[in-house]
Amino acid sequence: MLTPFLVLLALTGPALWLLRVHRWQHAGWLAAVTPAVVTGWLLAQLGPAAQGSFVTEQRVWSEAFGLALDLRLDGLGLFFGLIVAGMGTAIAVYAGYYFEKSARLGYFYALLFLFMTSMLGLVSADNLLALFVFWEGTSITSYLLISFKLTDKNALEGARRALVVTGMGALAMLGSFVLLGQMAGTYSISGLLALPAATLTQHALFTPMLVLVLLGAFTKSAQFPFHFWLPGAMAAPTPASAYLHSATMVKAGVYLLARLHPAFAESPLWFWALLVVGGLTMLVGAVIALRHYDLKAILAYATVSQLGVLVMLLAFNTKVAVTAAVVGILAHALYKGPLFMVAGIVDHATGTRDIRKLAGLARSLPLVGAAAILAGISMAGIIPTFGFVAKELLLENFFALIEAGHSQLGWAGLVAVVITGALFVAYSLILLWEAFLRRNSPLKQATVHHAPSTAFVLPVLALTVVGALIPFFFSSIEGALFGSAGSAILGAALEPHLALWHGWTPIFLTSLLAIGLGAVIFTQRERIRKLFTKAPEFKGQAVFDGAVDALYSLARWSTRTVQGSSFPTQIGVPLMAAAGFVGYALSRDFIADLRVDWDAIPTFYEVVLPLLAVVAALAIARAQSRLSAIISLGLVGSVVMLIYVFFSAPDLALTQFLVEVLTLVLLVLVFYRIPYHAYPKQPKHRSFKYLLISCAVGVWGFGMALLAAGKPLAQTISSYFSLNATAAHGGNIVNVILVDFRGFDTLGEISVMVVAALGGYALLRSSRMRPLAPKKKRKERRNA
Amino acid sequence: MPELYLVLIDRILTPVLLMLAVIFLLAGHNAPGGGFIAGLVVATAFLMQIMARGDGFVRRLIGPYLQPLMGAGLLIAVLSALVGIGNYALFFEGVWWKLSLGDFVLELGTPTLFDIGVFLVVSAFVTSYLLELSRPAKEGGRK
Repeated sequence: MLTPFLVLLALTGPALWLLRVHRWQHAGWLAAVTPAVVTGWLLAQLGPAAQGSFVTEQRVWSEAFGLALDLRLDGLGLFFGLIVAGMGTAIAVYAGYYFEKSARLGYFYALLFLFMTSMLGLVSADNLLALFVFWEGTSITSYLLISFKLTDKNALEGARRALVVTGMGALAMLGSFVLLGQMAGTYSISGLLALPAATLTQHALFTPMLVLVLLGAFTKSAQFPFHFWLPGAMAAPTPASAYLHSATMVKAGVYLLARLHPAFAESPLWFWALLVVGGLTMLVGAVIALRHYDLKAILAYATVSQLGVLVMLLAFNTKVAVTAAVVGILAHALYKGPLFMVAGIVDHATGTRDIRKLAGLARSLPLVGAAAILAGISMAGIIPTFGFVAKELLLENFFALIEAGHSQLGWAGLVAVVITGALFVAYSLILLWEAFLRRNSPLKQATVHHAPSTAFVLPVLALTVVGALIPFFFSSIEGALFGSAGSAILGAALEPHLALWHGWTPIFLTSLLAIGLGAVIFTQRERIRKLFTKAPEFKGQAVFDGAVDALYSLARWSTRTVQGSSFPTQIGVPLMAAAGFVGYALSRDFIADLRVDWDAIPTFYEVVLPLLAVVAALAIARAQSRLSAIISLGLVGSVVMLIYVFFSAPDLALTQFLVEVLTLVLLVLVFYRIPYHAYPKQPKHRSFKYLLISCAVGVWGFGMALLAAGKPLAQTISSYFSLNATAAHGGNIVNVILVDFRGFDTLGEISVMVVAALGGYALLRSSRMRPLAPKKKRKERRNA
Repeated sequence: MPELYLVLIDRILTPVLLMLAVIFLLAGHNAPGGGFIAGLVVATAFLMQIMARGDGFVRRLIGPYLQPLMGAGLLIAVLSALVGIGNYALFFEGVWWKLSLGDFVLELGTPTLFDIGVFLVVSAFVTSYLLELSRPAKEGGRK
């Protein structure tokens, strides 16, 4: 039942685009229908899932590779799926107003819904390879959404950075999945988790595999030192930032860690890697957030910090840590998403996101202010909000650690968490106070010139209200929502008992301490900001850009040295390389295996046609102009075509003929672009070199043909093709091979064609291909 | 009045080539032909048009559709491969339907659909290159 919903989601975006929804004022509500339906369906699955009956679907994609489109919505998948679909509903409404009749709304929806499909597929995939496919789907849609403003250089660079970092992580992850599949003997995730943990952890390849998994998860979830791509991704339109880069996509890494938690959590490497990287990210993100004045930048670094918290919590294999992680994921989605959306509305209404230019927005935009304050106090973790519960659980985790006897680790963690918590409080207060409450701004105050409609604020309010209400209904939802998700992470039954008020416990006092510290930082914010601005920063972005630049120079250097500058050398090098290597391989058993029937008398055609080809080839070499060379080349092709005809291969002959005609014309058109002059006289040594290359290639081709005819290197498959062609409903074997037996190859080929067409289009349109007109003008001017 | 051979190309050769392409496309599974060849034939037909009527005319006629057609072709090809999965079989598993039109039985299958996708991609691909390369005479190429 899940697949139809995925297909429906994927089709909704393009359908909205085709409907040209940007013409309608309230298009967002129409767009929200599909995600709302999906949310409803997912909600209905909560009950059965808590009972242990999951929606599962199995589809074989390619048996030989173990590739299957298996879907399985267990507690964890359902939990994430609800966030994806629920937030998606709000974002769909919000985007309709955010883009406000911009003609690109349809394009945005197309990307947004494709992302939603990928993300929902990701969290419900039960096959490692299928998960990877969906994972890449989210990366690509994220790339397109970040580079949404095609004219903005920052956006394009941010998008490229995000794509390369997450893409490289994904490649590492694919490697780990293959290793994992080899180790476990299955690519099915549920099958994998059902294995005894020792089968994996005791395996010789466990450590490299785990490192690769972690690379994938850490890059996707913007963990230190890969965190720099996330703030760069803020160039995306705000609805995309709120949805992808705070609530859903960046949590894909966390999801992967949670998903594989039962299998790996016993390993010490897992524990230390997650603890250290997550903890560092938590601190680094929180500190950097204080240095920024852009609303979205502050929120982006706060997101980095929160992702660090979640990764750190998944290091532990305890009930309280898992509960804290699950609650933290939902709480974060329900306050950070709305805060991003608020930032978008503020930007929309005032034209700036610089906090130094903002003040008193709570009076001019009361509804927005209400939503911001509700979400902000949740981010700060002030009682009685959802964020408060999440922070209590986080603290409880470290108290439990101390009680369990790991006092050093526990205290260190506790201190780090209190510092982070204080910073969370500080920048929440800064955000609320400076943008919404204070009367005057330090820089020239931006005015509200474009007040948002109530409907624009409605999805934001809805999300914050849901977030604010959840803590009061813990007893009715904790089992179905948090319990079943947590059980899937833990690999054992989890029955959380959440409450807002636990009494005056040490945890609550620590929480108060963090709030107090945060308030102190808030009052001293100018001094601390200055201090932090001076502090050294890890320039992950500079390192990355340097690496990319180095790669470019390497490519330039290798192109220059290996391929040379002139076209003949560029072709000559690979041809000679091919001839050399294959010639060596052939020389070892070439002569002995030749099967030549020396007594056979060649037929008339077999004599005449090759002679014709030889004459035409000589004519090419002797040609004095390009046109005659091209025509002679066409003649050689036609001879080959005739050979196909006489050896009864009509399909090949037809193709050869058409390709010959078209290449001939294309060549004429290409040379038409090049300024006409007679062939330059070649120096002797160069002619000799070209002759040598030609002969080598000729001998190599001849040898290959002889060998292929004489000694089949492997069992021939053509008999299988001719035997089964009728079963495949076809009489023309060539065509049946192309579209049926080898259909996947053909699909690859036509994909390459489309890519080549787009690349060629860009090249032919580029300015370097049209240099002559301006130059001529210059010459004319000079002459005049 | 243009030269006679151009009129012949325009009025006779182009329609013949287009019809030939349809035959190649539909008969391709059992007789010589197929999507690839049909695509090349269509490109040749447009080449004739470029020669007879000039590249500007052809560009106005089909230029804007070429890239969408390429995408559509790829989409059709992928979808035809996915039909196999939907039928609880495998990716690229051929699925065939029989259409009885009186005595004449038409066999339609996903490979035919796939071939149509190949046809669209190939014809649009080659035509777009022909059109792009025939442009420069006006935009700074050799006069």
